[in-house]
Amino acid sequence: MTGRPLAVLLPVASPAPRSFPKLTLVHCVGIVGALALVGGAAHAQGAPAAPSAFEVIFKWSPLLLQGFLFNVAISLLAMTLGTVAGLALGLAQIGTNRPLARVAWAATQFFRNAPWLVLLFFAMFMIPFQFRIFGYVIPFPDWVKAVIGFSLPVMANVSEILRGAVRSLPSGQWEAAESLAFSRRQTLWRIILPQCVKRMLPPWMNLYSLVTMATVQASIVGVSEMLTLTSEVHAAEGGRPELLAPLYGFAMLCFFLYCYPIGRLTQRLERRFNVKS
Amino acid sequence: MMKLILAACAALVAGAAPAAADVLSQVKEKGVLVVGVKADYKPFGYRDPTGAIVGIEPDLAADVAKRLGVKLELVPVMSANRIEFLQQGKIDLMIATMSDKPERRKSVQAIDPQYYSDSVNVLLSKKAKYTNWEELNGKTLCATSGAWYNKEVSAKYGVNVKAFDGSEKPLFALKQGECIGYLYDQTFVQGKLIDAEWSEGYGMPLPGILEAPWIMAVKNGEDAFAKELTTITLDWMKTGAVVALEKKYGIEPTDYSKRMHEQHKGS
Repeated sequence: MTGRPLAVLLPVASPAPRSFPKLTLVHCVGIVGALALVGGAAHAQGAPAAPSAFEVIFKWSPLLLQGFLFNVAISLLAMTLGTVAGLALGLAQIGTNRPLARVAWAATQFFRNAPWLVLLFFAMFMIPFQFRIFGYVIPFPDWVKAVIGFSLPVMANVSEILRGAVRSLPSGQWEAAESLAFSRRQTLWRIILPQCVKRMLPPWMNLYSLVTMATVQASIVGVSEMLTLTSEVHAAEGGRPELLAPLYGFAMLCFFLYCYPIGRLTQRLERRFNVKS
Repeated sequence: MMKLILAACAALVAGAAPAAADVLSQVKEKGVLVVGVKADYKPFGYRDPTGAIVGIEPDLAADVAKRLGVKLELVPVMSANRIEFLQQGKIDLMIATMSDKPERRKSVQAIDPQYYSDSVNVLLSKKAKYTNWEELNGKTLCATSGAWYNKEVSAKYGVNVKAFDGSEKPLFALKQGECIGYLYDQTFVQGKLIDAEWSEGYGMPLPGILEAPWIMAVKNGEDAFAKELTTITLDWMKTGAVVALEKKYGIEPTDYSKRMHEQHKGS
């Protein structure tokens, strides 16, 4: 026998956490470089008279970025609306009112398992473009309908996130609160939910990233967001096929630069709160 | 509380129902004419770098608004939603490269006479000096597979048609010299010829064949508005407004526009 203890006697060593590969300036330069290469190579094939992909993107970038801001606005509004509705739905789901909980559960499951694009189509074609209430005309432009369409799946997902977070707390918390004579309402609002916030934050931010990237689907139903504008810019530039990759690449870059930091922050929060996902 | 909600719902439903007043008087009352146009079909309707929609159809829309004495609002539409928008009342008038088809005339009210017409033409290499279709006998043209006129042109003029998917592949084949021209929608050919890339080595010397007119449309039953628009269209033909716009946007005036102008010139 050697002096070393048997392997089975060693404490269980958890595998070293793999660090999230950090995106550095080098990567950014790489991505932009790859895009440039695509644009440049395509340019070489085109006629000398045609402006290069860079010139085209530069010329149209104010309009395209305006479109991107529109995507961001839609995602923020859909997230706000969806979160408020989702929290209400989630609370109903975990509530003691049995019929209400059933209905909330059904609604959550329904909207969580429906394709986002289908919900968007419903919002687009079921909601009239204006309402008339007591003689006032309230217009409902496409982007408002898109916000509603995207907020439906957000609502269902937030509802599930809330339910999951509440369920994930050890039942001892409830029992301890009860033994201290807290009412159910007090237990929920003062003991359970505050602990849920940090558990909910990372998945909630993840959801936001997904919503942001999903907003380009609004181009299918004719909202003038970034992807719609990109295809219109392509048409305005004479539909040259060599411009496709650079133009859509630019859109991709915008979304990446916006969503990547959110992803990083989510990872950091997850680590800090040490929530096992 | 419940009663209040019910009342609000009832008000909403009642409000959402279409109003009875006709579109023309509504437009005049609001002071705004909302026109649906394309934003991805150069030069008929496309974006400029400021984001505004410009082109032949937006200009025609502006002229209608001017004649009605109201402001113009343009709404970008797609083929998939243009009829829907018109029926909903989201747009008052549609000028959006829509071909005249019997089933479309059932869903919306078409304006006669048709304001424009597409046809079939060839983006022809300048090396091939042909000016009429009969001369193409035995020659090879690239085309888009599935276009309804490929067979007809091939049978009628003895052209060899080499079909490819979409519109980019046949254009590429044309550049590679696999054929002497590209047989396709005339409006598309006109659009290509705006670009220096194509106008240097290619042209559209043949007359368009197999005309496919485009219609403006309003909601069904809007007779007063339709009548007004018919008058305006006839006046465009009389003054040659469409021909002038084609020239303004750098495309070769179509036979249809020229013919209509000739017919109505004296009237």
